[in-house]
Parts: sequence; structure tokens; C-alpha cells
Amino acid sequence: MKSVFSAPGDYIYFKSQVPLHRIPIGTKQWRYYDFGPKVVTPLICLPGTAGTADVYYKQIMCLSMKVGYRVISVDIPCVWNHQEWIQSFEKFLDAIDVHHIHLYGTSLGGFLAQLFAQHRPRRVKSLILSNTFLETRSFAAAMPWAPFVSWTPSFLLKRYVLTGIRDGPHEPFIADSVDFVVSQVETLSRDELASRLTLTVDSASVKPLLLSESFITIMDTNDYSAIPQQLKDQLSERYPGARRAYLKTGGDFPFLSRPDEVNLHLQLHLRRVGLEAQPELVQSIPKDGTGGGPSKENDKEDRDDEQKDNGGNPESNSEESQPSPSAPESSESHGLDEQLLSNAEIHFIDQKDSIILKPSAMSMNQHSAAAGILLRSTWEFFIFSLLPLYVDSLYIYSNNAWKLRQLV
Amino acid sequence: MASRRRMLLKVIILGDSGYVNRKFSNQYKATIGADFLTKEVQFDDRLFTLQIWDTAGQERFQSLGVAFYRGADCCVLVHDVNVMKSFDNLNNWREEFLIQASPSDPENFPFVVLGNKVDVDGGNSRVVSEKKAKAWCASKGNIPYFETSAKEGFNVDAAFECIARNALKNEPEEEM
Repeated sequence: MKSVFSAPGDYIYFKSQVPLHRIPIGTKQWRYYDFGPKVVTPLICLPGTAGTADVYYKQIMCLSMKVGYRVISVDIPCVWNHQEWIQSFEKFLDAIDVHHIHLYGTSLGGFLAQLFAQHRPRRVKSLILSNTFLETRSFAAAMPWAPFVSWTPSFLLKRYVLTGIRDGPHEPFIADSVDFVVSQVETLSRDELASRLTLTVDSASVKPLLLSESFITIMDTNDYSAIPQQLKDQLSERYPGARRAYLKTGGDFPFLSRPDEVNLHLQLHLRRVGLEAQPELVQSIPKDGTGGGPSKENDKEDRDDEQKDNGGNPESNSEESQPSPSAPESSESHGLDEQLLSNAEIHFIDQKDSIILKPSAMSMNQHSAAAGILLRSTWEFFIFSLLPLYVDSLYIYSNNAWKLRQLV
Repeated sequence: MASRRRMLLKVIILGDSGYVNRKFSNQYKATIGADFLTKEVQFDDRLFTLQIWDTAGQERFQSLGVAFYRGADCCVLVHDVNVMKSFDNLNNWREEFLIQASPSDPENFPFVVLGNKVDVDGGNSRVVSEKKAKAWCASKGNIPYFETSAKEGFNVDAAFECIARNALKNEPEEEM
């Protein structure tokens, strides 16, 4: 981390105790924490656009390390539409050998949680929805440049995501939560940002769920959040029988700014839906790992390397050109990588056709998603190689204009 | 935009006798001795959401942690009019609340006292008279007093409306 932000002490402790897992599943790289007794049905935390798996470390520290629940927090992987999200998340659950889940989703994560509950009703046992929404229409309207998200350079995407976080004088805990999230946004790659923004504008809405409303808790903050009140009200009205665990204050990231209240509500929710904690199984340091990296230091280095790559030459940042760092550790990854490579080759040949098809490619299946990534890199390559020419010509033009003016 | 924002009031119920929902106590597991429910109250053309936290008298609330009483707008002290000890303990509960919640203005923090279970046994087993309770309330800065029965719902709405009014008085135009 290059910024002035210094990691809070409890976060440093968390990183020393809880290993970060990174596994490739299909074409997607999953980055997640999984801590607590494996016999307990897990609570899975899904972050919003500006979040990573790390933003829920205070929940893991309380619920997994003290109370005895299994908490999994994930990064939303690079998926480009909602169908792909559902399929990818299901594959992830299969890969970590989890069948039933409780979902805690904030902002975009809450929306994705509902979509998953709608399409895979048998897997989702309960929902905690925090500052979230039922449909993406208004976000799409607010982001007219949405079709160009996947061509937008990283720094612009970052700036866009960061401007969504409310600025201004905050009370200290909220200010700290904002700092933490901003530091997490800094770690996100361009593709990750682009994929999340694409998900918030990809046209979709949550249809009625099979899940009984008594298994839903709505945990909105009552002071402010990036999600307009109107959308939150709409969600409240959709689930009139849901439990309302409103927090008076907390801003956009109550899991960081009001961890004790959020943890209390999460426990009350889990108890209400009949999930028992296993305090006698609380482990201090895990000895196992479901296919994750050997140590967190390695993972951290990987991530930092990635960042450097992103900053240096964005055009090289594609999944094909960078074999996943943790691939050698994972037995299932080889086949998948090969498959991915062959997909890439096929699309390389088809490139001319793909260019024409590009605008609709995002809403298609994984194959075209892979092609999309490849194509995007090509696009970027062109843009970046043309850029100097363009600047040159501008310079020449302005020089000439200036000379012309002098002559006149 | 702000006009649509709901007024959220956090109410904490303390006392030897659980009040809001007796069935809570059966669900209590060792970990958290508390639960809450939400109640919508309307007055002055405004809608209030009361988040009412109850311990069912199960635990000394120090063990519940800050989260339980942070941001409380009102504290309801409950006693059972049929049990003298529950009345005697009101003072302890009040003082403990003020220590734990440490409100900015403890002198004027809104409390409400409820004498509960007035309907039990037709009032024959009653040992705490209304007069006695009111005298105590007066000595603590005119705390409003209500006699209720959760079972019959007697006076409950009046009590909640008072709670809302009280809480509002304490922070008049604060942005919630």
C-alpha cells in the first residue's frame, strides 16, 4: 500500500490469523476468506462495488473467531452480467464444498445475493440485506457512459467509484471506515472495477423470492448511504414481513464503522433463522485450507505484483497473459487453464467477427467473455499505440496555429 | 429528499420483568440475552419507527456490550406491580443505564416507567401501589408513569406514543 493510510491494528492482527484464499474456478479468480467451524452452515458476505473480501474482517473476527460461526467473505469476481454471476457463484460454492448458505449482502452485494436467492432458492437459507436495491435501472440512467465501461482506463474507474463515497466531515468511526474502503479500492484492478460497474448497470431486477420473508433481515443505515432512500424503501416494501434491523447511523460501511451493532444484528438474525454457533469449535489458527495460498504473505505479494502490472502497462492486464499465481497449488486449475487458452486461440482467429459483435458480447456466455477480454486488450493496445500519434499531431497543429497567428 | 427519511427511535427496556414479548425468553440462547422488535407509531402526521430492545430481565446488561444501548433515545424501566423487589430494583437499573449508556445529558435523559401486569389476578396480588410508583417517578425528575398489561395491550400504545414524544423532545431537529 503506497497511500498514507495505515492499516488499523485489528486488521493487522486479522491478517496474521486468517489466511486469504485464492482459487481459480472456471475462468474466474476467486479471492476469499473462510474462517470458523466447517460444520456450521456458512454466512457468506458479499461486498458492494467499492468493497473487497477484507471489508468484513470485523465480522470474521467476531463471529468466526469468538462466537463460533463460519463466515466466508468474497471478492465479487470479474463477471460481466447477472447470469454469469449466478453461475460463477454456484461453481464457487461447489468448489469449496458448501451447499446451503446464509447471505449477507451490502449495496451491490445485496442485489447479487437476492438474484442468487431467486435463481437458486434451495441453496439460500436466509438473507441479510443492507443498503441495497431491487433493480439497476436508475444506476444505468445515472451512468450514460456505461457501454464504455470496459474501455475506460483504470484511474477514471477508480475516480468514479471513489466519488460515489460520500465526502465530507464524518465522525471518526465513519471516517475510518471510509479510509479503509478507499484503501481497498486502490487494490482493485481495472477489470474488477469495470466488472462491478457493469453489474450495477446491467439491466436486471429481482423477482419475488421463494424464501419466506421471516428469513430476511433488512439492515439499512438511517443516516445516509450511496443507495438512494427511494430504492431502499422499494426493497422494504417488497419484503413487508422481513425483520427491520435499522441502524441509526453508520453511513455506507456500517460493518466497519458500527461493527458491534452489525455483529449483534447478524447474530440475532442467525439465531432467529435457527443457525447455532459452535463456540467449542472456535479455532485460533487454522491448519487447513480449502485450496488457498500457503501463506498470506505470498498472497499479498501476488496482489502487489498485480497492482504494479496494472499501473505500468494496463494493456497487458488480461487473464490470458497472466497465469494465475496460485494455479500450481490447485489441482483443478490446469485443465481449466488449458481450456481457457484454447478458447482464447479460437477467438483470436475469429477476431474480425468479434469486433463487429463486441457491443452485445458482454451479455453472452463465458466464451465470448473471454473473447471480450482479449478484444479489449487489443483495443487498448491500439488506443495506446495511437495515442502518441494523436498527441504529436495535436502538438504540430497547435504549433502551426501559433506560428500562423504570429504571421498574422 | 430528507423528508422521506424515517424517524428511527431506539428504545431500551430494562427491568426484572421482561416486557415486550415474553416468548423471547424461551428463544434465548447463552450467547445474547436480548432481542428487539420494531413498531411503527404515528403522531403529529409523522411516522416513527421504534426499535425496542428488551433483555427479558435475563441478564445484567453490562455483558451485552455497547451495541445494545448505543444511541438509545429512551429507556423504559419496567417493574411487575405484583413483585416488590422488581420495584426496588428500578433505581439500580436506572443508574446502571446512565453509567453504561453515558448519555450526554443524564439529568434530562428521557425515561419512562411502566408498572406491568396490573391485570394479574384481578389486581388482588398487587403490592406496588400507583401512588408509590408515581412518588418515585416524581423524585427522579418527573418520569412519566404508565400502568400496563402486555397481555391485554392496555395502555401500551399510550406508553409508546409518550416514548416517541419524549425522545423527540430530547433531540428536536437533529438530523437522523
